[in-house]
Amino acid sequence: MPITYEMMKRSTAQLYEWSLRKVPDDTLEALRRAREAETNVVAQRTLGILLRSAEMAETQDRLVCSDSGVPTYTIAIGTGVRLEGDIRRAIVDGFEELVATTNPPLLKHVTNPLTNERGYQGKDMPLVTWDIADGADHVDIICQPKALGSGRWAALEIFTFPSLEQIERYVMECVLKAGSQHCPPVNIGVGIGGSFDHCAKMAAKATLRPYGTVNPEPILAAMEERLLKAVNATGFGPMGTGGDTTALGVHIDYCAGHGFTPVAVAFNCWINRRTRAKLYEDGRLERIE
Amino acid sequence: MEEIRRVRMPLSREDALSLHAGDMVLLDGELVITAGLPTCQRLAECVEGRRELPRPLDGVGLFHLGSYSREAPGGGFEVLYMNPTTSTRFNALMPGLIRGFGLTAVGGKGGLDAACVNAMREVGCVYFSFVGGGAPLLSDAIREVVSVHWNDLVSHYRLVTLRVEALGPVTVGIDAHGNSLYGDLSQAATDRMPAIMAELGRERDEAEHMR
Ligand code: SF4
Repeated sequence: MPITYEMMKRSTAQLYEWSLRKVPDDTLEALRRAREAETNVVAQRTLGILLRSAEMAETQDRLVCSDSGVPTYTIAIGTGVRLEGDIRRAIVDGFEELVATTNPPLLKHVTNPLTNERGYQGKDMPLVTWDIADGADHVDIICQPKALGSGRWAALEIFTFPSLEQIERYVMECVLKAGSQHCPPVNIGVGIGGSFDHCAKMAAKATLRPYGTVNPEPILAAMEERLLKAVNATGFGPMGTGGDTTALGVHIDYCAGHGFTPVAVAFNCWINRRTRAKLYEDGRLERIE
Repeated sequence: MEEIRRVRMPLSREDALSLHAGDMVLLDGELVITAGLPTCQRLAECVEGRRELPRPLDGVGLFHLGSYSREAPGGGFEVLYMNPTTSTRFNALMPGLIRGFGLTAVGGKGGLDAACVNAMREVGCVYFSFVGGGAPLLSDAIREVVSVHWNDLVSHYRLVTLRVEALGPVTVGIDAHGNSLYGDLSQAATDRMPAIMAELGRERDEAEHMR
């Protein structure tokens, strides 16, 4: 049986709903470790409040944040999967049905950039990035709602044959600019290389990597480690009111390019919203995060 | 952990002056909230006398908090949840509102700029930092929806007055004496940058030697 419009509609809506109620386990773990390591008393307390809020949301089935953002999806279609029906339409309809039925209702965040009017629908919403997964027997779906803190502070600049130092300096400049405003401690994603659009996507995707995973590229593994220390040496701290914990992780991806080298930096706020699941042909939705 | 101080809202000028940047407090009493830029633009028009104010705002606490409000089955309004929004996007409007209404407290998340800090010092007003992503915790402190104005706007933009009990803890991000954690932290981070870059360079060299 192929994956149908109905299955896709149900699954994408479900992922969005899950993402609003649960802070991922790796993130909770990282927050707990940070609280133990913090030397600043206000920061320790703030991290405690964040953890309590996450726990209440999960155990009482409530929204972690009232800003449910706008839905973005990263979808990889396994080459072993058959599809049937309007799969793109299914995601749009799933979102439409969700906002009409979910409890509590969501605030209207979908914004027409030309008029600043806000509603539940808009052109090209939800935003979807499509990918192919060779040999896979399922569709891999990641949902990452994007709000101000997880969207506003992203930036990209194109360099020519940059040194690692130039790249690291640029990341630090972005961190300084965001300062206290993106609900730290944040997850920082960095993309290096490729082209303008590809690099931005790499940075956004890098924020999806769980904390504690090691970069397979040794140059980047070392860069991630020293950048995390550098970011936390800035002192902005949890919620930007001071402390040792400004970021919980720096995740970097790269790809070959031409020598004009884009560097993109993206942030995800402390709640690190993301859910991921595999959808199989029999309709099974296996939640991974 | 020592007991967290509780303060009554709206703050008395005396209480506002007694708070210092970095203090953590719990809030009891009435606050006025909105997450809307159009709302603050309307309030600015009220200050200039170009629009009628829907409720008096003299000396109140006005916060950048967004909420989902709806008409309750038994009449009146209910708020299902609330959470702060980034204050810096209101930077341009806040000095006028702080002075115009003589606000005793403002707040949200992420702080306000130097022009706001000046207005706050002049008037005797503090900034409270609420945790973003704290909706369950913050919403549970709501005891009553006192009023909801400007219902023509989307829910989180409306001007909502709430009665709360033990809301927080919130951190005093900016006090009425001109101290701003945000200004200080940003300056400190900028000052530290050369040392941070030097350390990155040292570690980069080390990593290269390891390879
Ligand atoms: S930055 Fe994240 S946690 Fe903060 S208010 Fe926005 S969505 Fe919520």
